[in-house]
Amino acid sequence: MLRPVEMSRVVVAGSNKVIEPVIEKLHELNLLHVVNYSGGDESFEMGKPVGKSSEYAEQLIKLRSIERYLEITDKMPDKQFSTDQVISQMGGILGNLGDEVIATAERISEIDNEVKIKQDQAKSLKPLAALPVNLELLYGYDSLAAFVGTVSSPVEADVSKVSYVNEVFSSGSGAATAVAVFVPVEKAGEVSAALSEHGFSEISVPRGLTGSIAGAISALESDAKRLEGEKAPLQKKLKDIRAQHEDLILAIDEHISIQSQKAESPLRFASTENAFVIDGWLPTDQFDMVKKELEGAAGGRVQVEMLDGSEAEKFVEGGEDIPTKMNNPKVVRPFELITRLFAIPEYKEFDPTPLIFVFFPLMFGLILGDVGYGIIIFVVMMMLRRKFRTPGWQSLINIVLISSIWAIIFGILFGEFFGPLGLWAYIFSGAHHVGLLGTVAHPHAIGIDFGPEFYGPLGRIGPEIAGFAGPVFPMFRLETASVLVLIGISLFIGVIHTGVGSILGVKNELAYGEKKHAYFERLPVLLFQVFFVIGLLGMILGGLTHPLVILSAVVLVVSIGMMVKGPEGVMGVTHVPFFVSNLISYLRLLAIGLASVGVAFAANQLAFYVAMPMLSGGGHDGFTTIAIVVGIVVLVTVHFINLLLGILSPFMHPLRLHYVEMFTKFYSGHGGGVEYSPFGRVRRFLRD
Amino acid sequence: MVVENIVDGGILYGLIAVGAGLATGLAGIGAGVGEQGIGAAVVGVVAEEPGFLGKGLFLMLLPETLIIFGLAVSLILMFAWTPFA
Repeated sequence: MLRPVEMSRVVVAGSNKVIEPVIEKLHELNLLHVVNYSGGDESFEMGKPVGKSSEYAEQLIKLRSIERYLEITDKMPDKQFSTDQVISQMGGILGNLGDEVIATAERISEIDNEVKIKQDQAKSLKPLAALPVNLELLYGYDSLAAFVGTVSSPVEADVSKVSYVNEVFSSGSGAATAVAVFVPVEKAGEVSAALSEHGFSEISVPRGLTGSIAGAISALESDAKRLEGEKAPLQKKLKDIRAQHEDLILAIDEHISIQSQKAESPLRFASTENAFVIDGWLPTDQFDMVKKELEGAAGGRVQVEMLDGSEAEKFVEGGEDIPTKMNNPKVVRPFELITRLFAIPEYKEFDPTPLIFVFFPLMFGLILGDVGYGIIIFVVMMMLRRKFRTPGWQSLINIVLISSIWAIIFGILFGEFFGPLGLWAYIFSGAHHVGLLGTVAHPHAIGIDFGPEFYGPLGRIGPEIAGFAGPVFPMFRLETASVLVLIGISLFIGVIHTGVGSILGVKNELAYGEKKHAYFERLPVLLFQVFFVIGLLGMILGGLTHPLVILSAVVLVVSIGMMVKGPEGVMGVTHVPFFVSNLISYLRLLAIGLASVGVAFAANQLAFYVAMPMLSGGGHDGFTTIAIVVGIVVLVTVHFINLLLGILSPFMHPLRLHYVEMFTKFYSGHGGGVEYSPFGRVRRFLRD
Repeated sequence: MVVENIVDGGILYGLIAVGAGLATGLAGIGAGVGEQGIGAAVVGVVAEEPGFLGKGLFLMLLPETLIIFGLAVSLILMFAWTPFA
């Protein structure tokens, strides 16, 4: 927790004769994070691929194109296959079946093409449908010019004026009639000018068609339909192949990828004529096991060494990155998604994931704080969990799931179930006739200030705390007193949150050996944060002369002095306004929560105090059926929108509080580690 | 008459409410103006390199604090500052 898994620098060296069993074993163990040989050493050169790597590449290319035609994408396995099964069926899939898939897919795209051409031709011929001329007569003359198209008024008279010799066919006499005008070539220019006065727009006649135009159109359309019909069974065939072989194809993909990965791996190793050297990082506690396994696999002709700290340090100084493998218990692991989205921590840095696990759902719950919304999100996420099974989705769903539990807890504290409980109690206690149009018995009960009696039969459970008008549990978030309490709670969470970040910042700088940064930059900021709030607390408790105020004033001055002495000099004081703005930023925990409960409240008001009474004439004698239906529609719509917002903003804003307010306290300056990705592959579709 | 209103706080309460609204609203506009440029740039970067989503989000959300300042002023106006107490 908080620290990545401890890594050790390992060197594996051996004879080229045993390179294949060593690669085989390393791949199977899936533990060594290989450092690629960079070619800096004269006595070594890059290794050569073993086995049939080019063959694997070819097979992969073909397989991937089959996958593309079948629209197979990566998914969670439903079936698993043994390697023998895969090898025996691979030939069939890549051979006959694959060729068939490719041929079918190509035929489908051919059909699509033809259909498109035919549809285009039919579409362009449509306006000419009523012309009493056969298609083959419309083009192909040497001494005649043909004009085919539509006009907006009759043209015969004008054409005759320009050219005595003419032949005009037209489909009728309305606006946009189709015409075919034939005149001697030498009159073409004048006729064209005459036609354009009648709004002539030319239609290019598709070549190669014969017979009447209407007949051609219907032939084209029926051809297109027939081709479409031909396409359907082909598509069904692809679908059937996909349904039958999807998992097998992915298993083959996995198998070939593994083989190709193994075959090409020596390119990452240093080698000489007779020997190879593999550099890498390994979780320290796995070293003995890996050493034993490798020596067993290679019959002793391999040397596995762990470098001690100072030697490993040299490599790190030479620019090698120690891979980071985050080390978190299973409940916390989904939250690595949030860390990863920002940056992978460097090996020497802290891994903030456990802190995100603590604070993120808490903040989510504090913002959303509604039993009803919480339960809905919980149930929906439970359902989605089965549907979206890829690791990324699973993490996200688990994060929201854990957060929704906090939302339910805070919902109980705030007394909210799809909006404030008090309102529901009021509605169902039969007092709903107090609407906008009805008798307003308690005018203050309509606005935001409901007063203590508003909690109705549910009452309040908590003890009375001095200074507040009534007991605080469940606290109605829209009340003035609650807003003030929540401001305090938000700032309190802020101080703890940024404080923990600053503590990690101090330790981080020490881990990098930067004492000056640790003690004169990070530490004073931490002191300032803590005592700033202690001072505020003192001021609330006993004014400016309270001992806490005096104590914190002293510490604040000292910490500002430390900042000035720090590596940034006077500029170090800029940390002060930076911190204060960070702290104020935590008010969003309150603000977005108020917005969310406000909308829920408005939804209930809108339905029960506006829509329903208005539609049933004031609601003195109960509501009419239609009013209740409309009211429920309003209720569901507004609550649904609020729920969507209620997932989004309580997610984004704590995310920001982590990234901006907390991570900057210890992630800045460093950050951006290399993820531990061991040589090997997790088998998903293949069974051992 | 107006004097009476001021004495019992009527019109001044109204002005305070307007001020509180302006504080949050104008701060919101400011934050929006700040975010538009960053947002456009971040979308561009993420389209090219999806790995920058986290960092982009970080930069994108920076100006959001502005609106919280406005909100803090509003809250003080509405709840903490009581000139007629």
